Amino acid sequence: MTKWLARLAALGVVFLLTIQGQAALANPEGKKVLRIGSTQSVDSMNPFKAVRLIAGQLQRWSYLFLTTPDPKTLAPSPDLAESWETSPDGLTWTFKIRDTKWSDGTPVTAHDAAWTFNKIMTDDKAKTGNGPAVENFETVTATDDRTLVIKTKAPQASMLENPIPIVPKAAWEKQADIGAYEAEDNPPVNGMYIPYEQKKDQYVKLKANPDYWRGAPKISELQVIFYENPEAAIAGLKKGEIDLIGRLAAPQFEAGAGDATITQWNTPGRRAAYLQINHGATTSDDKPVGDGHPALKDVKVRQALHYAIDKQALVDQVQNGLAVPADGSIVPPMYQDFFWQAEGADKVSFDLAKANQILDDAGYKKGADGVRTMPDDPGKKLEFRFTIHTETPTEEKLAQYLTGWFKEIGITLTTKQLDSNQFTEETGSTALFDIAISGWSVNPDPEEVLATHLCSRRPTPTGDGGGTESFWCNKEYEDLYTNQLKELDRAKRADLIKQMQKNLYVNAPVIAIYYPNNLELYRKDKITSIEPVPAGRSGEGILYGGSSGWPMYTADVKADPGSATASGGGSNTGLIIGIIGGVVVLGLAGVLLARRRKTTADDRE
Amino acid sequence: MTAPIDTGPAAEVAAGLPEDRPARGTLRYALTKVGGALVSIAMVIVATFFMFRLIPGDPVIAYTRDVPLSPDQIELLRKQMGLDQPVFNQFIDFVVRAVRFDFGTSYEYRRPVMDLIGEKVGSTLLLTGVGLVIAVSLGLWQGTRAAWNHGGRFDRYSTAISLVLWSVPTFWLGLLLLMTLAAGIGPIPGMFPTRGMDSVDAPDGFAYILDVAHHMVLPCLTLVAVVYAQYLLVMRSSLLDEIGQDYVTTARAKGLRDDLVRRRHAVPNALLPTVTLVFIHIGFVVGGAVTVEYVFSWPGLGLLFVEAIKGPDFPVMQGAFLVVCIAVIIMNTLADVVYHLLDPRVRAA
Repeated sequence: MTKWLARLAALGVVFLLTIQGQAALANPEGKKVLRIGSTQSVDSMNPFKAVRLIAGQLQRWSYLFLTTPDPKTLAPSPDLAESWETSPDGLTWTFKIRDTKWSDGTPVTAHDAAWTFNKIMTDDKAKTGNGPAVENFETVTATDDRTLVIKTKAPQASMLENPIPIVPKAAWEKQADIGAYEAEDNPPVNGMYIPYEQKKDQYVKLKANPDYWRGAPKISELQVIFYENPEAAIAGLKKGEIDLIGRLAAPQFEAGAGDATITQWNTPGRRAAYLQINHGATTSDDKPVGDGHPALKDVKVRQALHYAIDKQALVDQVQNGLAVPADGSIVPPMYQDFFWQAEGADKVSFDLAKANQILDDAGYKKGADGVRTMPDDPGKKLEFRFTIHTETPTEEKLAQYLTGWFKEIGITLTTKQLDSNQFTEETGSTALFDIAISGWSVNPDPEEVLATHLCSRRPTPTGDGGGTESFWCNKEYEDLYTNQLKELDRAKRADLIKQMQKNLYVNAPVIAIYYPNNLELYRKDKITSIEPVPAGRSGEGILYGGSSGWPMYTADVKADPGSATASGGGSNTGLIIGIIGGVVVLGLAGVLLARRRKTTADDRE
Repeated sequence: MTAPIDTGPAAEVAAGLPEDRPARGTLRYALTKVGGALVSIAMVIVATFFMFRLIPGDPVIAYTRDVPLSPDQIELLRKQMGLDQPVFNQFIDFVVRAVRFDFGTSYEYRRPVMDLIGEKVGSTLLLTGVGLVIAVSLGLWQGTRAAWNHGGRFDRYSTAISLVLWSVPTFWLGLLLLMTLAAGIGPIPGMFPTRGMDSVDAPDGFAYILDVAHHMVLPCLTLVAVVYAQYLLVMRSSLLDEIGQDYVTTARAKGLRDDLVRRRHAVPNALLPTVTLVFIHIGFVVGGAVTVEYVFSWPGLGLLFVEAIKGPDFPVMQGAFLVVCIAVIIMNTLADVVYHLLDPRVRAA
């Protein structure tokens, strides 16, 4: 028996030493690796198919686009296109394509770009990712290796914000069915990083591209590591398994407080949160749809509601102070060029007396129970529904505050909770709501969010949603939209876009309540430097989830110690494995001993 | 001792005759059960189709909420999703495909659902399979010991502990283990990874197997902790039933050692009810432990299901749901058949 135990112990020791040795071999050289945590998994590595934000970030790190937002001003700046010109009628764009290389060494030409755009224009299966971005394209041709000509159907000022990554024609045209291709064999890229290994729902690994046109990044490798569970991601950050995580909700962000190794990155965000008011929703053929309260058709009532909202209190109480009260509309102040701020007589501030005054003047009299009624129908009370999502504590809290203030002005608000699917249908298509919570993350070019308030975005008579955010259909707004499309002068265009925001602010089909901050956490003992976008403005900018790959290009990190740290468990990984091995060995020993005892017992029988 | 009576050629022939009928009976029994299972599977397929269409909301609208698409593009999407067809055609299409294990194309990933399920089923089976083996062994062993010395200290403690763990919410326990043993708290160092099935820079070969084992410790522990009580309790109560039986008293009266009475006589009989339980659970193993996979970001079927619900990605939800249902039905059928083979009393009945 003693002999047995001695043999097993020896085996265990050998086992443990082997493991320690192997673990140390895992990452012998001290590489500079930046590990980013993501609670969103990659839907596809194929840019023609992918729609998720994480996939968009990967594209920004690994491909070139015609243009990229300037890191400081966010205005379009050269990327794959070194320069460009526009014809006098604004319909023809000529881009000079940069002389650079794909990661397999072949040259990048205008033919690659032409093939990419034409593929999306002609193959329905290639439209999933960025279909709308080529909708206005008439033809795209490469006149020579360095010249790309795009002809549009109508003028398009946002041409330089085209979100389509250019792929190498040679590698991609071999794919007969683009919809079935996942690009997991890592086709060539030409951006700052080259994806070289990925496991679905687990991670993506990218290595620095020495041939990137700005020069190689400072770090040698970028890893994106997936966590399904945000709490686990924060635990992983504190432990050092990841170095940075962005797009956090307030509770997770606050979990990073008080940790000496972690920087809390709290900056203005790219999102606007607003209330959507059913001002008399119609379908695209101008027929009424839904069951909105008739009082909300009156702009006075909508304005009174606006006066009855204490945005600062909402920021403090609902957003834990991690937001900015909205003094504008749907474009957040982060985008300085396009942000419009209400001033002077236009500005609506929290004032219950004024709200009451507006409603009194408009003839909505208070009944005996303190609730106002319609001027023409004393039986119809001002009782509104507030539609929010199920199981969202912040929205429930918001509803409580609004209910309290609206009661003060003689309006009853009841909360209606819907799961996201039904919420989308009732607030975006069937219009079965009075007031609903909503929001939008805005790109450096706000055209996309502005378009969500166009007449054409209203649902069709058969109820197909066109993606309206308000059922808004307003002549002035439509004209401004058309004009800004044609206006190629950035300053003049910004002015038109600001007038559109003013139109929404004054008429109140939507009421912006706050701009949630961009909340991120990173390890300051690991990341030695990183520049956000926009860069160079104190206390501003986004690290992960922004509109350019700049932060990950500028990031520098401390090199990994040349041991097994990379495997996540730190230097004790081997030890743990050894312990597990030991337990297994001991368990086996136990079984063997028991069997021996059994055999002898049976023999004795 | 007297010589055994069933020796010699005559005895063999004699013994062979009555064997014949139960064998045919077993076959008929098995066929009946398989037939029943097929009917159940057919019903599940039909029910699945209608159940997932009862969920409120139009998937196309849900998918295009934050995407600026023209009505043409929405129409295209509707066509790609097969939603432009009348419901009856959709139903026929669904059934025909389901029979061939084709559950359509995921809305979210634009890939065949079976491919997605195929990718995930391995890691789920690994986690839940190992978990099940450990839970069954632990439960049966503790249940046996607890029943044999029932009322004793081991009985009281093990039963109490298992019941406490059984009543603990899986999510809470998983998160607790994650926060203490994976993240590390106070003097406890973070010993285990916080996510996934393997390290990003995982080594190759044998070390890779150990890396996966290292990642599996906490999810497995959580899984075992919350389910082993069932085996313990079933084993304990069925062994307690057996202890009072005459044949156990006889065995003791023959002067057999206590250990032998338990192992040779009582436990084999007490094991029978647990067989059903284990088989039913093997069915659920395919479905994985959704919560455990969520907490530890384990890339299995459960995670796929959670991601599909977020979508909502109906084809994936349908596919995952059907695969789990079919697995449970098959395992139930197997349990019936195995039970029949193991227990002569069921055969006789």
